[in-house]
Amino acid sequence: MRGWGVVRENNNSNQGKAMDFNLMVEVTPLLIRAAWVTIDISSRAIFFGFFVACGLVFLQTFRFGPIRWFARGYISVIRGTPYFVQLLLVFYGGPSIGLRLDPLTCGVVVGAFNIGAYMSEAIRGSIESVDKGQSEAARSLGFGKIRTMGYIVLPQAASLMIRSVGVLAIVLVKNSSLVSIISVVELTYQAQRLIGSTYKPLEIFTISALMYIIIVYAVMGIIELAYRRATRYTTQ
Amino acid sequence: MSTEKQTDTPMVEVRNVHKRFGDLEVLKGINLTVNRGKIISIIGPSGSGKSTLLRSVNHLEVIDEGAILLDGVQVNRPDMKGLAFERHINNIRQNMGMVFQHFNLFPHLSTIDNVTLAPRKLKGMDKKTARDLGMEQLERVGLAEKADVFPNWLSGGQKQRVAIARALAMKPKVMLFDEATSALDPELVEEVNRVMRSLADEHMTMLIVTHEMGFARDVSDWALFMDGGVVVEECTPDKLFSNPDQERTRNFLQKHLGNNH
Amino acid sequence: MEFDFTPVVTYFPTLLKGVGVGTLVAIVVAFMSIVGGLIVAVISIYTNKVVSWPLRFFIWLFMTTPLLLQLYFLYFGLGEWILIPAIVVGILGLGFHYMAYNADIFIATIKSVSNGQYEASRSLGFGHWNTILYIIVPQAFIRSIPQLGNNMILMVKDTSVLSAIGVAELVYASQYAISVSFRPFEFFIVIAIMYYVINILMELGQAWLERQTAYRR
Repeated sequence: MRGWGVVRENNNSNQGKAMDFNLMVEVTPLLIRAAWVTIDISSRAIFFGFFVACGLVFLQTFRFGPIRWFARGYISVIRGTPYFVQLLLVFYGGPSIGLRLDPLTCGVVVGAFNIGAYMSEAIRGSIESVDKGQSEAARSLGFGKIRTMGYIVLPQAASLMIRSVGVLAIVLVKNSSLVSIISVVELTYQAQRLIGSTYKPLEIFTISALMYIIIVYAVMGIIELAYRRATRYTTQ
Repeated sequence: MSTEKQTDTPMVEVRNVHKRFGDLEVLKGINLTVNRGKIISIIGPSGSGKSTLLRSVNHLEVIDEGAILLDGVQVNRPDMKGLAFERHINNIRQNMGMVFQHFNLFPHLSTIDNVTLAPRKLKGMDKKTARDLGMEQLERVGLAEKADVFPNWLSGGQKQRVAIARALAMKPKVMLFDEATSALDPELVEEVNRVMRSLADEHMTMLIVTHEMGFARDVSDWALFMDGGVVVEECTPDKLFSNPDQERTRNFLQKHLGNNH
Repeated sequence: MEFDFTPVVTYFPTLLKGVGVGTLVAIVVAFMSIVGGLIVAVISIYTNKVVSWPLRFFIWLFMTTPLLLQLYFLYFGLGEWILIPAIVVGILGLGFHYMAYNADIFIATIKSVSNGQYEASRSLGFGHWNTILYIIVPQAFIRSIPQLGNNMILMVKDTSVLSAIGVAELVYASQYAISVSFRPFEFFIVIAIMYYVINILMELGQAWLERQTAYRR
């Protein structure tokens, strides 16, 4: 097994120098390419994570206890252990149970199964936040459970769901930096490699931080748009 | 469906109904008959079980014992399970209009959509017919001009009138009012009462749980006083409010009417 | 597929040492991030823009970029000037990260303490800063406890990330053992269980603390 972690050498040659703008321009294309990888794994993990979440929410509606307990247990374990350890377990430990994934796939799969657990809690929470009177009113009109959920509860839960799932998406983008440890060449991996080779931490950090900020704000923008759409009935 | 022959079947019949929440018995053997076109009011202190009784009629509360019948059809069916019961109760509920204390309008739907959602989705009514029906119901409660407004922009009184229109749109056999005016500011109570009076004039069968003594006295054909999960006294409203037989009823009325003045 | 947990047993003392290092880091970081977060919040609310703007910028920066990137920056950035042990870099990195998150909470809760509290205190004769110190901050702190608890639970899980810069906590401590035993699955399962147990204990502690302070919120 290849060890993770970085090697630092003491290098005093840059002391007292101003920021090196030429270098910043030079590394930007490399970091942009790496940022696409970050966007790629994050968006795929969020996409698949949503299905994992829906599955977990669905399993928790079962009358049969063991199915419910499985879902609750899964959520508890995922939330109770570090994402980083989950990643290492699947990537390095996976082969011993016959699970061989390339780093990128591993990042997406672990990301999806991780965020799925959090997302299912967010979805459940937003459904439970809808006033009980709403489903009572629908039921009193003669709507069944499924239609009550579809016509009345879910549309109202959507706004809160968008916000809380959005927060999780941002967390996931930031957590995606951890897949650099299994050598996926994403933004943080590239930044660390460039810092190591140029010894210009401030310059590299500035550019890569800026890229994360842009990604995070893009996600926030999407959430805000979706939120406004979902709540247009309260803010005509 | 309702032929002349059936008219002697009571619209709602409650037979020896018991309901427990854990160790607490909130309904201790209630009997009640609502005949066609009649208006029955239930009064009583909070915690007396009157709201639970009304909700039980709509099966929002599941009773532990006894039977509830709507137009001769049993509402609670301990013998039915799962999907079969689900279908049964959804059909029953389509014939009952329920009005809640907190309106429970659907905030994500416009006023007209609140009213027409059930006819469209449950009776398969097309959009145009449903809209005409919805407008008719909104006119009935005097809110036709608010058809395309969302509930959050309505006053409490308007919300409750829309909620009544929503229930009426299903052409229910009976209307259940669960403290329909309790959550309203005093100046908004009258507009809702006016709508309820107009329903009375149309001989709608109504079961009303209320705190409004004056209104109950005016509008109802029969009145019940409930306390501690039992019907303490039932008679004509005039007698109940002016000359009740029971000490408990007198005490309640004294306290309640005293507070109003 | 067969499992062999004997290497895990053999190296268990090493793992425990890792837990020890992780615990030490977590305690220092908890202290640093809560006290620091409170100070940052108070300063950024109650002083002029020249002081509060940079502070808010750093809170924002730490909250919008990944921890690992911050750690690398600190690791190499500080390394340019002085050679300091990885554990110190780890504590500073994790500490600043969660200081920002905690400050964000404190800013919200301090602002949520009603203006009436401030006025009541001033009317008793407390000065501006005394009001903040004795009336506003204690109330805000108690209100912050649930969210602080959440942050600290997240923080403990994030100590695992410090292995990336060579802090000898649990994950890093297992590295050597894994490389000689070729049993990554067994080791990471045990590590996950250890984290899970710690996490459960922390959640119980958080629930207890919330109960203890609930009547004051």
